[in-house]
Amino acid sequence: MADAMLELIRSRRVVRVMTDEPVAREDIEKILDAGRWAPVGGNLRTVRFVAVQDPTTLKLLRMVSPGMFQRPSAAIVLCLDLDVLEAERVTGTDPTPLFDIGTTLQTMLLAAHALGLGAGPVSSCAWAAVREVLALPPNLDPRMIVCIGHAAPPGEQLPMHAKRVTWNDLTHWERFERPPQEPEDG
Amino acid sequence: MSREASVNEPTQILTEDEAIELFTFLLTSARSQLDDPCEYASMRLLSAAEDLRDRVIDRVSPETRALLRQTVEATTFAQTHTNDLEAYTSTLDELCTQTARFLVGRFGGNRDG
Repeated sequence: MADAMLELIRSRRVVRVMTDEPVAREDIEKILDAGRWAPVGGNLRTVRFVAVQDPTTLKLLRMVSPGMFQRPSAAIVLCLDLDVLEAERVTGTDPTPLFDIGTTLQTMLLAAHALGLGAGPVSSCAWAAVREVLALPPNLDPRMIVCIGHAAPPGEQLPMHAKRVTWNDLTHWERFERPPQEPEDG
Repeated sequence: MSREASVNEPTQILTEDEAIELFTFLLTSARSQLDDPCEYASMRLLSAAEDLRDRVIDRVSPETRALLRQTVEATTFAQTHTNDLEAYTSTLDELCTQTARFLVGRFGGNRDG
């Protein structure tokens, strides 16, 4: 199981080109369920999901989201529930809710990948317009869109030329040693 | 199509829906850009230029179509090399030069003085 899980993590990619094949409702529900199991700060459950399958709503969502290169067959909008944050006295300077969005996002991306679907996050949106498109109530603050669909073949994906790094490039073991200090004059 | 004819003809080369879509992209980009990394601004404008090109390429004069076709490969290259600032910049410089040459040919310009 460990190898399968690690391979899943390694092989996941952000999918920016999708076919127009629909995504089964059952699969979207599995992704939503996975999102529910994401680790969140204080187990407060501050994240709410808006699942979208309607082609017109998806089109409108895409129109107000300049960072959405995909034409997804489904989307899940991750929102923070401001009522929960207020009730739990989570202040605006506390970054934890944004971590919750991140862990939920990654869990959903992995779930989609495990189901053989392609998925990609979008955060470059005009959120006021997203609110209007989805008729969100005032307490839901949209922060991230997870686009879901069937990935187009690799040759049709937008190539990314990011420099390859290994975990070793990113890691420092134990504590950083301070350089020896020069003795102070006098 | 001559320059005079194309300028004077009230030809609509975008449908109303297409115009709305492009308008919305630019407007929402103006807003989202306030939160995004600044280099995204260039990418968004390039995306809009590509979108406009792709929508009108079959409806414009053969001369303009030729220019637009010439840009396809370069804009695709630029969009996929946004993390290589040097390549991205030089590709955009080349595209701008190419377009300026076209403008001089289409609209005229005194290149002697």
